[in-house]
Amino acid sequence: MPTDLDTWLHIVYAYLHDIAIAVYIGGAVAMEFVLGPAQGSIPPAQAQVMGQKTADRFLWLVWGSLSLIIVSAFFRLQHMGYITSDWPFLESGLALSEDYGRTIWTMFALWCVLCVNGAIMTFYLRPRLAGRLKAGTTAAGVQASQQAKMEAAKWIERITRADLVIAVFIALLGASLKWGGLL
Amino acid sequence: METLLATLHVAGWAIYAGGAVTMEWVLRYAQRTMPPSQTAVVCKHAGSRYRWFALAALVVTGVTGLLLLLTLNDGDLAGRFSSPELSLHDPYGRTVVLLGVAWLILLAVLSSMAFWLHPAQARRSKPEMSKEEIQAERERVGRAIKRMEWALRTELVVSLLAVGLGASLHAGGLF
Repeated sequence: MPTDLDTWLHIVYAYLHDIAIAVYIGGAVAMEFVLGPAQGSIPPAQAQVMGQKTADRFLWLVWGSLSLIIVSAFFRLQHMGYITSDWPFLESGLALSEDYGRTIWTMFALWCVLCVNGAIMTFYLRPRLAGRLKAGTTAAGVQASQQAKMEAAKWIERITRADLVIAVFIALLGASLKWGGLL
Repeated sequence: METLLATLHVAGWAIYAGGAVTMEWVLRYAQRTMPPSQTAVVCKHAGSRYRWFALAALVVTGVTGLLLLLTLNDGDLAGRFSSPELSLHDPYGRTVVLLGVAWLILLAVLSSMAFWLHPAQARRSKPEMSKEEIQAERERVGRAIKRMEWALRTELVVSLLAVGLGASLHAGGLF
């Protein structure tokens, strides 16, 4: 077993980073290809309740893993000496002129895209899905609300699939760092 | 080629470990709010899909892990943190062996779930059965459900430990 704190920190940062990535990618796959189809096996009213419960819980996992990914990435880079406490804070290895730097910055940009998509789902699409009808709503109002919910559900599905592709591409970029980066 | 193998390896264990966390943290939570009859239907459908995804992910992880191991050379290892060696005298080698053992445990647990516990859970009593036979069948299904819960928790714990072992390879291994 390692005896020095330095090595332990190296392991802990890598572990947290790997677990967060696994939860993000594996969670998206399980939601899309396992829980989604399973939802179709029960009556629609119950499926809607199940959909809301699973999505609410999954969003916690998404935000938790996105936060953990960036925090652990920062500490890993700092631990490897790419980020310092002195101006300009970034070492030359992270410059855009280097393959390693370009790959890291592309990963960061894609992480930002995942966050934006997560925010759209959490603060715009999910409330639309969960919206309740008020007493006295007209038939046209009910239909419009159903239409809006179906649209929101479609967009959530599209964004989740796009996120999955982006996350796997980030994993590809991350894997390439061992060999100096891909871009 | 090595980058592609490493990506497949990462995607494999991410789908496996992340899927296990999601099934435990998301599906179990949702189940608590559902009527028992529908819980059984959802479990049956989710379980039958999940086992194939998990098995495929585990096989991909194992195969790509082995191929990555075969492509390792001394020069590559020398450039890494703490300059590890692929030998049982070095923590790196021992950790790789432990990862192999963890993979075999996961394969055994998952195979038992896919080919034994899941079918046993899905068995239903038939109208021509006697009361004793129906009771015995229910007890068998009950035992299968309990074993499945144990298997799922074991799978989750071992997969999270395996990710820890894998992460420790960045720092030259753990044991």
